[in-house]
Amino acid sequence: MKRKEKQQFVEHRLGERRLSRFIPYLMVAPAMVFLLVFVFYPMLNLLYLSFFEYNLVNPKKKFVGFENFRNILFVKTDFRACFYNTAIYTVSVVILLILFAVMVAVWCKDKGWLNDFATTAFFTPHIIAMISCGMIWAWLMDENAGVLNAVLSFFHLPTLRWLNSSKTAMLSVVIVSVWKSLGYYSLIVLSALEAIPAEIYEAAALDNTPKRREFFKITLPMLSPQLFFLLITITINSFKVFDTIRVMTNGGPGSSTDVISFYIYRYAFIHFRIGIASASGVVLMLVLIILTAVYFKGLSKKVYYQ
Amino acid sequence: MAEIKFVDVGKSFGDNKIIEHMNLTIKDGSFTVLVGPSGCGKTTLLRMIAGIGPASSGQILLDGEDITDKAPGKRGVAMVFQNYAIYPTMTVRENIEFGLKNNHVPKEERSRLISEVALSVGLSELLDRKPSTLSGGQRQRIALARAMVKKPKVFLMDEPLSNLDAKLRVAMRTELIELYKKLQTTFVYVTHDQIEAMSMADDIVLLDHGKIQQEDAPEKIYYDPDNVFTAQFIGTPPMNIFSFGAHENRMGFRSERVTLSYQANKQAFFERKGSIITREMLGSETQYQIKIPEGSLMVKSLNEKFQVGETVYIQLQEEHLYFFDKEGLRIRDKKEIAECNAELEASHEA
Repeated sequence: MKRKEKQQFVEHRLGERRLSRFIPYLMVAPAMVFLLVFVFYPMLNLLYLSFFEYNLVNPKKKFVGFENFRNILFVKTDFRACFYNTAIYTVSVVILLILFAVMVAVWCKDKGWLNDFATTAFFTPHIIAMISCGMIWAWLMDENAGVLNAVLSFFHLPTLRWLNSSKTAMLSVVIVSVWKSLGYYSLIVLSALEAIPAEIYEAAALDNTPKRREFFKITLPMLSPQLFFLLITITINSFKVFDTIRVMTNGGPGSSTDVISFYIYRYAFIHFRIGIASASGVVLMLVLIILTAVYFKGLSKKVYYQ
Repeated sequence: MAEIKFVDVGKSFGDNKIIEHMNLTIKDGSFTVLVGPSGCGKTTLLRMIAGIGPASSGQILLDGEDITDKAPGKRGVAMVFQNYAIYPTMTVRENIEFGLKNNHVPKEERSRLISEVALSVGLSELLDRKPSTLSGGQRQRIALARAMVKKPKVFLMDEPLSNLDAKLRVAMRTELIELYKKLQTTFVYVTHDQIEAMSMADDIVLLDHGKIQQEDAPEKIYYDPDNVFTAQFIGTPPMNIFSFGAHENRMGFRSERVTLSYQANKQAFFERKGSIITREMLGSETQYQIKIPEGSLMVKSLNEKFQVGETVYIQLQEEHLYFFDKEGLRIRDKKEIAECNAELEASHEA
């Protein structure tokens, strides 16, 4: 009897152990399924489709190998133009955003009603929908009735054609993008600034440190993890920019603000050339992977982690 | 070498007055310890000398020169912070070098000074390491080296040992004293630990609620306290204090001055019968808590034979009794002491 009980107990424990081995998998399963369906499958499908000529009207796919890639990279010129525009946009946004985010954060760190107000004011654009931002800025930048030109002419400065000229359209889009995200990114920098212990600045004061040197030798290095994070996320987000362009310029005038995401959208849903669109998507993904890798390789040693 | 003088200094944070009308002179070349319970204003005083928490009123003089409004970096003082405040992004060498670079010390001079200082605190092997890879004790040394390399007129230390474990703390205590002996400059050291204060100081400044309670050498502070606060803050266990008589005067005695005995002794100046409530064997000595008619008291004895529950006599010599008035101030007048003695005797017999 005793033996049987023992046997039962052992079997029970074994069953429990067998079950408990599956529990972790069961728990991560929803996330895994989600990832598989919405991330890995589309990614592989994208890669797969990029080797076919295929449109949504005729469901028959035709395998063409690397023809789509050859087409967008070496035959057609519009993809290269988009790539160039995207690069210009990304470089400008990354530099301006990081620079201004640090400046705004340093300013907002001081206590005072104006600084508190500024923190809120800078953050507000982040909570406004892009479509509204686009409308506001399209109105502000209006060639004839816009506020910006009114200000310029008030100071007797030459007015600009903003979104209507191929020369200034990209600049206008960059301004709006920077304005929209500045508050969010300065908030990240601000919280990092506030996490720097006050004693370090006191020690620096006792070391007779000039303000400029204090900023470049102490503050900036202490912010490096957040700045590195900003660099990567802003680069990725800017390379994928779509809504700002769609709302404000539709890629125009001409193709002066045509960017990769917009190009993909156009080829997929207007021209219905899925193969070309997929190939562009693959190129965009590869560029981002390479860029991120380069950042990590080149900069991660300079970043200070606690 | 520098003498520091506070002249009628006050400090308030908002409406909260931390220090009022403080007058204090810290002697040139002394090791002065500012000690007191938390919130007593000791760190505030130290930060005023450093210039990182300026005084609200009054003057601070360094060697006769008014430094009240001088920038911290121009005062010729160096400070070691409680949490070290090392620049975490820099190597040990860069940490030590930072202040020198700011003061435009030439390169050869810098490297000579750094290797000299690194050798004396034992960091020579670690100069190119980042602080995050070092232990608490080693970080402490970086902070020390950073202060020493500037050859300051005054060393300020804000509880520099409180983040170290007990053993390392005792070792560093000795090292700091040796460092002081070698440098022969003014040290101002803040601590809440009275043992640290007693063991390191030439001069102790005991503070409470922003007021100086007593300023003296450790022996004087221990054996000749000015008031009840000093008598009870300095020493473990604190001085035994009891009220007596109609004037609410108080008498006190140190726990190690008590003789314990099973027999009454006619020779004893002060004697009470009591029972042992607790007994703590500490190795070299034994600590007893004893209940007498006036209250309970602590006795530190080399004799460990007494047990809990036993009835014993506590006996004291006349010279080991201290008297304080009802404000807690020490009674030093011979005639008044005699009156206290008489009253104490009378109250016991009654």
